[in-house]
Order: sequence, then structure tokens, then C-alpha cells
Amino acid sequence: MNPVTRRRFLVLGGTATALAAGAVGGLAWLRGAAPDVAGLHVLTAEQYRTFAAIARTHLPRGGAFPPGADDFDLARMFDGYLADQPTTDRHDAGLAINLVEFGPLLFDHHAVTFSNLPPDAQLAHWSGWGTAQQQTRREIFWSFSRFLGLTFYDHEAVWPHIHYPGPSFARLASRPAEAP
Amino acid sequence: MNDVLDCSAGEFAPNDLTCDYLVIGSGCGGGTAARVLAEAGKDVILLEEGGDFVGPTRLTQRDTPMYDQLYTDRGGRTSKDRTVNILSGRVLGGGGVINACDVVPIHDATWAYWQKHHGWSEFSAAAMASYLQRALADLSANRIEERQVNRNNQILRQGAQALGWRGELMMHNRVNCQGLGSCLIGCPASAKRNPRMVAIPKALSAGARVYVRARATRIREAMAERKRVEVQTLDGKGYHPVNRFAIDARHVIVAANPVGTVALLRNSGLGNDTLGRHVSLQPQVPIVALMPDPVRAFDGIPQAYALTEFERHDPDVGLTGFRVESIFGTPGVLGSLVGQPGAAGKALMAQLDHVAASLILIPDQPVGQIGVRRDGRPEVDYTLAAEWKTRARQAIKAAAQAYFAAGAKMVVVPAAPPLVLQSTAQLAQIETLTFEPGTISLISAHQQGGARLGASDATSACDLTGQLWGTRDVFVCDGSVFPSTSSSHTMTPIITMAHALIDRLVARSA
Repeated sequence: MNPVTRRRFLVLGGTATALAAGAVGGLAWLRGAAPDVAGLHVLTAEQYRTFAAIARTHLPRGGAFPPGADDFDLARMFDGYLADQPTTDRHDAGLAINLVEFGPLLFDHHAVTFSNLPPDAQLAHWSGWGTAQQQTRREIFWSFSRFLGLTFYDHEAVWPHIHYPGPSFARLASRPAEAP
Repeated sequence: MNDVLDCSAGEFAPNDLTCDYLVIGSGCGGGTAARVLAEAGKDVILLEEGGDFVGPTRLTQRDTPMYDQLYTDRGGRTSKDRTVNILSGRVLGGGGVINACDVVPIHDATWAYWQKHHGWSEFSAAAMASYLQRALADLSANRIEERQVNRNNQILRQGAQALGWRGELMMHNRVNCQGLGSCLIGCPASAKRNPRMVAIPKALSAGARVYVRARATRIREAMAERKRVEVQTLDGKGYHPVNRFAIDARHVIVAANPVGTVALLRNSGLGNDTLGRHVSLQPQVPIVALMPDPVRAFDGIPQAYALTEFERHDPDVGLTGFRVESIFGTPGVLGSLVGQPGAAGKALMAQLDHVAASLILIPDQPVGQIGVRRDGRPEVDYTLAAEWKTRARQAIKAAAQAYFAAGAKMVVVPAAPPLVLQSTAQLAQIETLTFEPGTISLISAHQQGGARLGASDATSACDLTGQLWGTRDVFVCDGSVFPSTSSSHTMTPIITMAHALIDRLVARSA
């Protein structure tokens, strides 16, 4: 086998670098730029947009009752949550969000990212994460759905729609005293 | 009487401290240890990583801030493969602040099992009876009264009775309970007779110094007469380090829950090969039923009735079988279990007031392992055993049968996708549950083992006094010490064991 000459090495290296740069550029182009979001602590604007899309898919407006994730900006709450998490967790969360964003490309082989899917396709794709063959996808699904369920249903604007009367201590304290 | 000292407060100046007995962790084990030692006249410091939460202004009954502040890792700790959500308290008073108040002592058969198979020669049911009595007195243990049984618990009982299955109203540690229903995120009415309400005030009265927002990070010179323990103070949120100080102590008693205890000892370079092994998570399966009439399970005592027909106590196996116990909580935690995205998940939650719910408690063999990652944080490696999965399927079937017998329209097992059963004719679908990682949401509220006691350092991490092998006066005093799952609920076993171990320590020093 011929040894790799310096020239051949440079050509191969240059080609690989160009391909990698092209792939990164292609992915960035596919994802598209997200509008600036002020006051984020951990998430990038693109990650914020992706997480907001996940939240909107998981808890859409309408259906059984009007409020949805978009009414409470759960993506910002997630960013605030991550701000108090250890660095490794922040990093892992960012990777997980990016994986969801490129999920349609990686797992369904469609040249589109999650944020750019229409709502029905987002729901079908996100639901697929809960039952995916890859354990990592299922873990990400449960991690995000736990956070979204906890924060959404803890919101007082949701309570009337699920027939929850609110914290009982205040309710009992405000209850008129029974006649002797 | 001393006050609780908050290390996150602006005026707190961290100076190095000295004591004879340093207790790390303030839950059922640590709180009891600090109280017994202080009342014996010892010079005690008690450290707690979490904050101090008492009363309605601090315990707000809101899911997000309470899980954030009362639970370890903000309620987000999981096993390595994320199959099991590992819940434990990170607050002054520990797990007793956030548990469902169930008082279930160690069964005689379990004591016999430990004696026969784990060398616990000194711990027979008879020898431990007086310690159990002390634990029950600490807890003001009493039987839940019929008038306190809410509709959620009545439904499970109704189903069990229709099938001719045994069950019981449980013992609990509430006094003057107002039925607020938020036990899992703290009782603003202070009805729980937990370590925060009993042991810690007594320890403070007897002169103990109690520090919160103080995380022990390393134990140094474990073979010396005086150990040096490094402490990290935390900010008001409890997640960001602020200052450091050190405590010199003759005795160090670690009671930081099995995961925290093993992590601290491992990060300190202590312990033999058995430390961190033989961990039981006792995974629980949630199950919900949609009833035709309102249940309003969020009001009243969440966990009052236990279906015990299938629980087994065997002197050659320990605790096995399973039990089903009603449970409920605030909407956030229930919403977090709904693994169904889109309109379907919302439709289920819209019927919250018609939902009955239970946890199925399935004792496990201690197959888990606690390790420490490069960054010093703990990691729990746990794989569900095939035998456990088989029993879990039987348990889910039994719970579903009970709900259908009580008139349920639908029974749902929170999985992805949820397993939805419309009648008993569909029970066979339960066999499709694989319990593979990420397919179902399991909960661990009763971690045990990891620093088991035993007569030999080849098979245990601590000797029968609780002293960590290879150390001088470094003890473990929490759920870590059990060689297998002690009971369906660990509060009473841990307090019982703490009384026994600390009595021995006091006697030794006398």
C-alpha cells in the first residue's frame, strides 16, 4: 500500500474539513436562525425555540381546555431551572434539545428539523420518542415530559380546568367557621 | 434552647467548629441520633444540606417550589438508566417531611431473615421490641380513623372487599390532621410527628447545634481520634456554594440517606468493597383509575388504606409479594406522570377530580449499586430483576382488578404509550409491559442498603454497631444499614434502628 504523501494527506484533510464544515453549515441552515430571546441563562435562542416547540407539542392549546404550554412560557422556566443545575446537567440538556431538533433528520430521514415541522407532524414525531427503540430517546422523552407536566399543572390558571380548587390550607383557612 | 442556624443567612460567619458528635443528615436516622445523643448530655452538631421549612408561609403546597426545595436534586434524581425516579428528602427533618406518614414496623419474619442469613445475631424481634416502642412513641403512632378515609381510599378498599382480599387502615404519625392532602410536599399545618417536629426540637432543647444549608463534603483523618469534616455552605436556594468551614469531631455519624451516605464516604476515600453495594430501591408502580363519580382525591389523607392480601413475610426471603396503597398528590406531580403528549394527555388530566390512584409497592432484592462519578456526584446503577418484573405484572393486574371491582370505567398505567384498560377482559395486556428503561415511570421512595451492617468485613460495610469497617468512630445510621428491604415503609424501621445503634454508642462512651 502506498504511504500517504503529504500532499495526499492535505487533500484528504481538507476534504474532510470541508465536508464537516458543510455538514455543520447545512444543519444550521436546516434549523434556521431563531429570533433573539432576551434574558436566557443557559439555553441558546435556537434551543429555547426547540424546547418551546416540544412544550407546545406536549401541552398544546385547546382540546380538553384552553391553556397550553405557550401561555406560561415553560421554555423560559426550563432555562431558569437549568441555571441552578450543575454544568454537566446543563450541557446534557442542551445536547438533548439539539437531538430532538434534528430528530426528524436523524431518525425519520426527513430534511427538516423539529421546530420547522407542522404541529401534527411534531406530535407524531415527539410521541415516537416515548416508544423509540433507542433508550436515550425514551429517557429524553420522560425527562422533558416530567418537567413539563410538573410545571404546567402547578400553574393556577390550569386548575379550574382540571377541577382542582387550589392549595387546601388557604381554602380551609378562608372557610367560614361552623356555627356551634 | 438553641435555634436552627441557617448558613445561607447573610450574618452567618463560617468559623471552624468543634464537637464530640457530628451528625450528618437530619432525617429519621440523623434526627433521632442527634436527639438521643444530646439528651444523653453529649456535645452534638447536626448538619443538614437542605433548608428549614415549617408552616404555611414556607410549605406552600405548590409543586414546583416544593419539589425544588424539599427533595434531593429537586425531585429529579433517577437511576443511571433513568428507569426509577429516586425520591428523598433534602430538608431539615429529611424524608419525614415529605413522606405519606405510614408507620409500618419491621416484621418479625424480616428480623428472623436477617438473623439467619445476614449475621444480625444481636437483632431479634424480641431484642428490638423496646426500640420499636420508642420509635412508635416518637411518632405518636396511631391508627387512621374511619372518618379520615377519603373517597380515593374507600374505592380501593371497596374493590378489595368485593374480591374478598385482605387489607387494612394504616398506622400513621399525624396528630390533629386537617386532611390537607399535600403530605408529599410537606404539611403546612405541622400535623406530622416527624423528626422536624419531634426529634430536632428535643435535640435543640438538649443543647445540640443544628446547621442547615451546610453540606458535608469530605471526612478526613478517619482513623484519628479527632476527625476533620469539611463543610460547604450553600446559598438561600441551596444549589450554589458560598463558603467553607470545617468541624473537628471525635465521632462522625453519617445519616444522609443511602445515596448521600455512600457518596460522602466514597468521596472521603473510606469504606471497603461492600460499601455502595446491595442497594434496594423498592420500585413502586403508579396506577390510576377513572371513576364514574367525583373522587376529589386531592382532599384528605392521601394514603390511608393498604391492600395487603399479596404481601409475604418469609424468614428465608424477607419481605416479598406486593401491596397496593391508595395515594394522591398535588396536580403537578400527577401531571408529571402522564406520559401522553398532546390533547389526549390533557383530556386525562381534565378529569382529575374523577381519578383514583394507587402506588403498587413491590419489594425487591438488593441488586443496586451506588457509585460516584468523576464530578463527585452519586450514581445509582440499578437493573430491574426478571423476578421483580413478573411480580410487578401480577401486582398491576391485582390493582386493576380491584379498581374494576369498585366500578372503574378505565384503568391506566403511566407508560409510554400509556397502558389503558377498559375492563378486566383486557388484563392480559399487562403482560406486554417490558419495564425496559424509559418505557414506564417507576418511583423509589424507600432506598435502603449500600452500607449494610454485618459481622464480617467481607460481606458488610459496617460492623454490628454501625461503625464503618476500617475507620475509628465513623458510624452510619440511616436506611443504608439494612441488608435487604426492611418494610414497605422505612420511617419506623430507620427510627427503630437509630435508637438501637445510638444507645449502644452512648453506652460505649459511658
